[in-house]
Amino acid sequence: MKKRQPEKMHEVGIATEIYRMSRAIAEEHGGGPLEDVFVRVGELTAVEPDLLEFAWQALTMETPDARSKLHVEYCPAVQMCQSCGQTPERARGRWLPLCPNCGTLLKVEGGQELDLERVSFLEKE
Amino acid sequence: MAEVDVKQKILAANQAAAASIREGYQSSGTLVLNLISSPGSGKTTLLEATVKTLRDRHRLAAIEGDIATEKDADRLRAFGVPAHQILTGGACHLDARQVNQALETVGDPLVACDILFIENVGNLICPTSYDLGEDFKVALLSVVEGDDKPFKYPAIFSRAAVAVLTKMDLLPHVSFDLAAVRNQIRTLNPEGRLLEVSAKTGEGMDQWYRLLEEALERKKSGRSALAG
Repeated sequence: MKKRQPEKMHEVGIATEIYRMSRAIAEEHGGGPLEDVFVRVGELTAVEPDLLEFAWQALTMETPDARSKLHVEYCPAVQMCQSCGQTPERARGRWLPLCPNCGTLLKVEGGQELDLERVSFLEKE
Repeated sequence: MAEVDVKQKILAANQAAAASIREGYQSSGTLVLNLISSPGSGKTTLLEATVKTLRDRHRLAAIEGDIATEKDADRLRAFGVPAHQILTGGACHLDARQVNQALETVGDPLVACDILFIENVGNLICPTSYDLGEDFKVALLSVVEGDDKPFKYPAIFSRAAVAVLTKMDLLPHVSFDLAAVRNQIRTLNPEGRLLEVSAKTGEGMDQWYRLLEEALERKKSGRSALAG
């Protein structure tokens, strides 16, 4: 039977990509095991931080990187008012149709981040 | 211990594949659309009506993404349109690498066309993150799915340049607050286009065809497919 990549939950696909990129960087610098991997995940990427961290654990289990940790910085989408320049506060997942200050339609900005920020790893023994 | 600053897009590999697709279709002037919606909202039905109407005027082709079966590709082939089925075998979205592979495997029927419709796997969530080299994303929402969906799935409705409300002929039979949905979509994407159609009765379909043909004309003349 053909072996398939375990990409059924899409956080797994994203975690796989982060792992591939992080390993490549560690290899360039001597190839030691990963320690900490820092990523930024925007609210509008449809990537759930908890699931991403869980997928990371599953992927690195039983590898030399099993002790590494994925750190997810969550980046909220910002609702900006182009009229009065305010960015009114809202709770995660709640959208404001109009600016509470001046009644103008709010524009959604940011929240699209899906970036690998930095990677730390041990020197190879 | 060593630390390296990376600052790279996690989906850089997908982005690179998407960029090569986009570049290829830039020179041919092919309009490429990525259709995204939940299962059963009418993507294939919209495409059936579309190919039936436009096939005599333009060379059309389709890539169909599904977890299983060739049913969707077969429905479009019935109209004489080249349609390639990508079976993801469980994955909830298409990625640019799969589309690239399809273009290499199938070649001309998908490459030398005026409009390529890519129908993504039925899912409002995961396909949003993956650029397929399209000119723009089209998000479909049928009126039977409920009037809370844009705010529940903000990612797709904020990124799709065109939103299409489908099955408008069923509006009298369901409780669907049309004004609220228009408002939600406008909130998430103030510059986006919103169409309201029924592929079954033909209501609003002229606007959809006009949008496609105007976008195609812009693309052929080397401009961005959507104005503004």
